[in-house]
Amino acid sequence: MMKRSITLGQYLPGESLIHRMNPRFKILSLLMVMGLLFSLKTLGGLLILLTLAFSLIVYIRVPLSYLIRGLRPILYISLFALLIHIFFTRGGVVLIRIGSVTIESAGVTEGLFIVTRLIILVLFTLLVTLTTTPLSLTYGMEFFLKPLKILGLPAAEIAMIMAIALRFIPTLMEESHRLMRAQVARGADFETGSIFRKAKNLVPLIVPLFVGAFRRADDLALAMEARGYRIGAIRTRMYEDVIATRDWAVFIITLILLLAVLILEL
Amino acid sequence: MFIGTENLTHVYMPGTSYAAGALQDVSFSLERGEFAVIIGPSGSGKSTLVQHLNGLLKPTAGRVFFKGRTVCFGKQEMIRLRRQVGLVFQMPEEQFFSDTVYDEVAFAPRNLGLSAADESTRVEEALEQVGLKARLYRDRHPFQLSAGQKRLVAIASVLSLKPEVLILDEPTAALDFAGRHSLFNLLADLNRNLGITILVATHHLDEAASLADSVFVLKDGRLVLAGLATDIFRQREQLRKIGLALPPITEIMYGLADRGLPVDPAVFTLSDARRVINTLKRRH
Repeated sequence: MMKRSITLGQYLPGESLIHRMNPRFKILSLLMVMGLLFSLKTLGGLLILLTLAFSLIVYIRVPLSYLIRGLRPILYISLFALLIHIFFTRGGVVLIRIGSVTIESAGVTEGLFIVTRLIILVLFTLLVTLTTTPLSLTYGMEFFLKPLKILGLPAAEIAMIMAIALRFIPTLMEESHRLMRAQVARGADFETGSIFRKAKNLVPLIVPLFVGAFRRADDLALAMEARGYRIGAIRTRMYEDVIATRDWAVFIITLILLLAVLILEL
Repeated sequence: MFIGTENLTHVYMPGTSYAAGALQDVSFSLERGEFAVIIGPSGSGKSTLVQHLNGLLKPTAGRVFFKGRTVCFGKQEMIRLRRQVGLVFQMPEEQFFSDTVYDEVAFAPRNLGLSAADESTRVEEALEQVGLKARLYRDRHPFQLSAGQKRLVAIASVLSLKPEVLILDEPTAALDFAGRHSLFNLLADLNRNLGITILVATHHLDEAASLADSVFVLKDGRLVLAGLATDIFRQREQLRKIGLALPPITEIMYGLADRGLPVDPAVFTLSDARRVINTLKRRH
């Protein structure tokens, strides 16, 4: 309970090629891989992508234990999706029949497809979030949101909100751990009792957490205004992101991959 | 050896690139009834160290002991340990969640499962111990108190456990000079009058220096100096290297000694300093 934990997908510092890639290109490549993923219709293609995802994950040196721990909730969802398909998708040969329930071959293949897709999707998304700081990730997204400004979408503000939200996730986690320890030191018990009791026991945790979050938000707003932050103002950045040759290289490779698959599958 | 650690090592999040060694092979101990101070620059591992003493953190290696026995971190033992070793966190008023001072201070006794009458006695005692009149403060809203009063209520909310050891992590953080001064005097009173063993983690040497029996200096997770306060504060160069500033009064005394005057620089209080300077004046 008291262990400091990292949320799945939290940035892990490193020096790999993917770490140093321009965030805009990472997002673009991710989007293309997603497109690829959902246009693939053969299991062979999916397996190639899965291998690629795994080798890249290994390449960026994520500790395996960390990956497995983080992927556990996704495995539950995958299992759920698999079962739904197995029992409810009709078609193909009837494999097993128990009373009125039948398991049919189309359900099994469809289920496996969905699960593999889900895992590949998660792995590639992880590949981006593990290697990109939240800040450069949001700036990357801001770039893609910009064209929507014409429609009145406040792209810069949305990016700022996301950046702040992401920035404060670890802070609030840390804070809640600290508060938990502080209340345990005063004899609080967060582990035993019925669900109702457990929920009631959370009051000493949630109230201070909210008070702290509001105070932080207030301080932050003040600090930002003191530095001249205004809604709608044009902002420049301290570090302009550079587009290197490797970014184009990755982009073109992904594009070729995407086109090749699309041509083969159609 | 009443409470302390032996070869304590603590590593945060081992096995990731976030892994950070917080403590390296720290051994120290306090006697019953002692008033001790852990000093060290921020990030030196003070908070991590004190959270081991009431079992909030488990050592990666080494052991924690209390009353001559190794702490085993079993569930029942933890509950007993946390009653006897009270820990006041940094900025403890940030834990407040009740509508009244009474409820805030009663949180710990309620968790112990005391009767309403016992609870009420404990709350009143704890408030009086920190110098707040229970009658005047019990129904006030904790968020409406001044910074200093909040701090006192927070300390009372741990004292209501009736601990034998009271550990405070940066108790004077964000308090002004007067607040710091009176808080340390309060701790000295708790130590002298109630016999509570006190351990304070701080980077403020000013008040700590004149009150503590023994001083432990932490730097980058290692215990680098330990001994009597008067001995520690004679090692000015060493402390400066660690990144700790001496109390201003002691600095003045060092300045006098550096200029060739016969002064013992281990002076921490205004009254002692006045006495030393008066003696000097009489001689010249």
